[in-house]
Amino acid sequence: MDTQAILRAYRRYARVYDLLFGAIFHPGREFIIRSLGARSGERILEVGVGTGLSLPLYPEHVKVTGIDISKHMLDIARKRVERMALQQVEGVMEMDAQNMSFRDSSFDKVVAMYVVSVVPDPIALIDEIRRVCKPGGDIYIVNHFRARNPLLAMAESLLSPISKLVGFRPDLDLDRFLEESGLDLVETHNVNLFGYWKLLRCRNREAVAFNPSEPAEQSP
Amino acid sequence: MDKKLLEILVCPLCKGPLVYLKERAELVCKADRLAYPIRDDIPVMLEEEARQLGPDEEI
Repeated sequence: MDTQAILRAYRRYARVYDLLFGAIFHPGREFIIRSLGARSGERILEVGVGTGLSLPLYPEHVKVTGIDISKHMLDIARKRVERMALQQVEGVMEMDAQNMSFRDSSFDKVVAMYVVSVVPDPIALIDEIRRVCKPGGDIYIVNHFRARNPLLAMAESLLSPISKLVGFRPDLDLDRFLEESGLDLVETHNVNLFGYWKLLRCRNREAVAFNPSEPAEQSP
Repeated sequence: MDKKLLEILVCPLCKGPLVYLKERAELVCKADRLAYPIRDDIPVMLEEEARQLGPDEEI
């Protein structure tokens, strides 16, 4: 699944997104933000902020930054921030979640709801999230992972090619994801849709330092 | 553009510092000679959307 396909899907969905997905995902968003337990002044990053549906849910004493790859979604988010005068929102920005433009260890907490399955490389995404999150910081992921029930799992595998059309990969395996991402799982909760979506709370054991794939020119 | 936010923003390519040019609505990476646009108050931190600085352009 490439970024262009994702962008095309989101351009199609931007205007109707809140109507289509708002109600389905809302309980998950409320649950996760309630459970953040953010202290005053803490800096929080929401990866895949989309139309900013969750932004009004953050308490006023934190500082939230939202990023997304879709300009069309972010326009709606920005208008929402203005209209509701959301003091807790520092800004929304257009970024590639796999290659963010934040300093290492910029955030106390990072929230990624419903994004792991829609990026081209979930592990690269997690590496990047760990880089911008402070060591010891909390990483919250809401995602669907492959069903444990073998019959359901088979059905999901069959559906996987369709994901190209709707921009979603349904067959991510939780254990494998945790192992490959090196995330320290603290707890899991089932959220909404009868537990189809899982909330993972992870601790950022150690920050991952920026490691350019192409060596940058070094000044002598 | 919030000053505090500028403290944590870097170039997506080299993760080096950015210079905020308010009048041009751009965030400039001197090392990569790229200017990232701020459109409708939304910084666009993507290499493919950035403007290459001209050879004589000094920041």
